[in-house]
Amino acid sequence: MARDKKKLLIYIAGIFLPALLISSPDFLAINGVTPCWPVIWLLPFSLKNSPLKASIAAIFLGILLDSFTVGKVSYIPSLLLLSLIWARYGLHNKKIELFFNIGLMSIFGTAFVGFSFWVQKIILYRFLRNNWFHSWSIYVLISEIIITGLVAPFLSSWLLLTYKKN
Amino acid sequence: MIKTRRKIGFHLLFKSSLWYIFLIGILLFFIRWTKGSGYLEFYSVLVKPLLPGSAQKEWIMAGEDIENKIRLKLLEEDNNRLRKALSLRDFKADQRISAAVIARSSKSWWQQLEINKGAKHGIVKGQAVIGPGGVVGLIDNTTVLTSRVRLLTDPGHQIGAWIDRTKLHGILTGMGTNRPKLIFLNKNSFAKIGDAVTTSPASTLLPANLTIGIIQFVDENALPSPYAIVQLTASPEAIDWVQVLINNG
Repeated sequence: MARDKKKLLIYIAGIFLPALLISSPDFLAINGVTPCWPVIWLLPFSLKNSPLKASIAAIFLGILLDSFTVGKVSYIPSLLLLSLIWARYGLHNKKIELFFNIGLMSIFGTAFVGFSFWVQKIILYRFLRNNWFHSWSIYVLISEIIITGLVAPFLSSWLLLTYKKN
Repeated sequence: MIKTRRKIGFHLLFKSSLWYIFLIGILLFFIRWTKGSGYLEFYSVLVKPLLPGSAQKEWIMAGEDIENKIRLKLLEEDNNRLRKALSLRDFKADQRISAAVIARSSKSWWQQLEINKGAKHGIVKGQAVIGPGGVVGLIDNTTVLTSRVRLLTDPGHQIGAWIDRTKLHGILTGMGTNRPKLIFLNKNSFAKIGDAVTTSPASTLLPANLTIGIIQFVDENALPSPYAIVQLTASPEAIDWVQVLINNG
């Protein structure tokens, strides 16, 4: 595959993200919870690009993914903040440690995205305020962190490597 | 050499990259506005050959028998009440559309189903969706060929329900688990573990007496009002076929 075409892979993967979100493949799930797909895609994109580009991509990704979910809770605030942090962190000639770094960054990213949903739900839905520390949020948050932490080092670093080769 | 800061001005409008970002932005807002309809319809056409076969339908029929027995008793009682009271919302059992579940997210932050029937088949927002065992959710939005169902378990989802035995109403509120909370409107609920929870005959949104679940736990002393935890009779994780009641939209 030519180098220019390899660069396209990350964009094609971005287009297929909603399909992963709605199909929720069972073979990549812990207790029925699938990985946080936007984090897996946004992490390599943000590491390679400037904060401006990364934040634009995060907003677009948030708008795209919010189309496929019910309720008023949005991906945009958490993804925007993560894209800015990751783009500032950047690559800066980091080498093999990146594989583990990516796992760690995705874990923190997923925790942040999950936590933002939790907070948004408590703010938006009045009755959840009486019982804000509900078991279901903890359950989804922990399951999502574990499965994203397992999947991201492989998928995100692969996307980053193909994207970086340009 | 000293680098000066790039100036922001109208010359940026002549840069093609800006226009690309603008066009992508418009495209994504269009997708957001249409709730991803084009994407979902393409997905529904793509997964058509993979839909579950007739075995699932037979299983649904067996499940329906149990549901019908409960409903029959409730309908008889409801009929008697109707003779005395004013007419309630009309509900015809034959006006149902069977649909296959093409995507499911029942244990994530969002609890929803995508089904393979949409506006073309007469489905509109707000219609009740039932599975083997009882109500699973309401239609949240539709595209031409698909619909999105918001499950009863989704946090933030509320519908009116009542306990037929006590004739007391409450609001069934999704809590993320398979056991939504029934928050009673009265000071005393008089509910008991094992009571059947059904849709309220006073509801203007849903047909009356559709089975929802069984009470598992009651807290009479809760403030500001008592509540009960309801075990749903229809499990969204195991359902591959659902029926949409098209006469309550």
